[in-house]
Amino acid sequence: MAVVVKKVELTWVDRTYVIPVLQGMAITMKHFLKQILTRSRKRFTVQYPEWKREVAPGYRGLHELKRFEDGSIKCVACFMCAEACPARCITIEADAFGDLNKTQGFEEKRPAVFRIDMLRCIYCGMCEEACPKDAIWLRGDYEQASYDRLSMQFGKWDLMNTYADKDGKARITQDPTPSIPRNPTSL
Amino acid sequence: MEFLARLLHLQPQTFWMIAKVIIVFAGPLTLAALLTWVERRGSAMIQDRIGPNRALLFGRWRLLGLPQLAADGIKFFLKEDLVTADANKALFWLAPFLAFVPAMMGFAVIPFGRSLVQGGQTYHMSLLEPGNGMGMLYPLAIGSVAVYGILTAAWSSNNKWSILGGMRASAQMVSYELAMSLAVVAIFLRTGGYDPHEIIAHQAVLWNVIPQFFGFLVFFVCMFAETNRLPFDFAEGESEIVAGFHTEYGSMKFALLQLSEYVHIVTAAALIVTLYFGGWQVPFVAAPSVTLSIAAFVLKLVFFCWVFIWIRWTVPRFRFDQLMFMGWKVMLPLSLGNLMVQAFLMYRRG
Repeated sequence: MAVVVKKVELTWVDRTYVIPVLQGMAITMKHFLKQILTRSRKRFTVQYPEWKREVAPGYRGLHELKRFEDGSIKCVACFMCAEACPARCITIEADAFGDLNKTQGFEEKRPAVFRIDMLRCIYCGMCEEACPKDAIWLRGDYEQASYDRLSMQFGKWDLMNTYADKDGKARITQDPTPSIPRNPTSL
Repeated sequence: MEFLARLLHLQPQTFWMIAKVIIVFAGPLTLAALLTWVERRGSAMIQDRIGPNRALLFGRWRLLGLPQLAADGIKFFLKEDLVTADANKALFWLAPFLAFVPAMMGFAVIPFGRSLVQGGQTYHMSLLEPGNGMGMLYPLAIGSVAVYGILTAAWSSNNKWSILGGMRASAQMVSYELAMSLAVVAIFLRTGGYDPHEIIAHQAVLWNVIPQFFGFLVFFVCMFAETNRLPFDFAEGESEIVAGFHTEYGSMKFALLQLSEYVHIVTAAALIVTLYFGGWQVPFVAAPSVTLSIAAFVLKLVFFCWVFIWIRWTVPRFRFDQLMFMGWKVMLPLSLGNLMVQAFLMYRRG
């Protein structure tokens, strides 16, 4: 459909061109003075490396693998997130898991390997939606860059410790729940 | 001054001549370097940004981004000096100088302060003494020569976009020169002479901007065209012709082309101040002291330099046919009419 562009009729004041330019200069000067007089913290531009932007609560940034109070992982290696992932960036290898006395005890599996290829991830939040245990969350970290491809492969411990210090949790590199894998053939 | 001259075993006149050469060479150059900073910070502020402030002096002092000037200088000198294979090498090297030297030369005739009488000797605050016979015609002539630098740069690059830029620059030049000169002729008529010292002395009571408002308007607009500044910077055009005449330029040659634009701003501002805003005259002070007169001149100069930047970030670029239309059909009749009215008034007064 053709769009009819309405031609603007200029008044004689506009056609002198001097007064509109002066008006424009007044506008730019107003911006200039406003910017000069605002404290630099209050300006529009965020001075990035020093000051970081607060993201909205619903922002989908870097993933976190949630853990229980005692540190054991919430993930039960059900592969729902891996299935839901449109970018196919989640790799899970399940690990049989038998000690029933711990928090997580009634579960049968946990991930031995949980890897997200951050270079492929599109931060859609589908894994978060699909997870039945609320074990994977996408949170606010948006600064993800590295010098090589390998360091963009985030493993289980990377993801579990993503927000550890910020949330006041201790960093862990070992699951406190002992793993006594049963022999799958004996089942 | 005599003391300093004696210190260097020079005649005071000789000393003053050397000092003037240094002032006239280094003054606009320093101001131009500062203007590059003002432009970047000022444009940032106008656009609600912050502007360059990452360069640190000794890794510590930010100084509102001023170390950027030093960083630019170092970068320009250390960058690889590329000349494209098919360029006309001699002209390619010559062009930045052709652009830069006329820009520097224009300032020579501008009086930047009141004449100083000391030890029975009068020292004039301009490189060319009054009564040299060239007067205001000299900066106008020199200012027009600057377009050769742009044309040479455009032609020698052997680049289609550059040649388009040069073509646009020449189209621009033919459209404003006449109106500009006629506007200045009206001032010559009022003053009864074309020496800048006379013109300034004549403005002791009333600045020319008031009786010559239309002439001022025409001259001001033409100065934008002459400096190749934004409403009329057809020689450049980042969106249409890559970068225009300096597409192929890099390192110090590019810096010279760029710096010549800023020196041109300083010269143009000085011309506007001299012709229309009373030069070193201070309003409501009949006989200002030498220091006061220099301060007044520098203040006006800096203000008009700022106006050049201010307008650049307000008004979008014209098309060159629009400038040709404006130059031939609006500004030329306007300044011609201004001249006629002026002449008629002079005739009536007798």
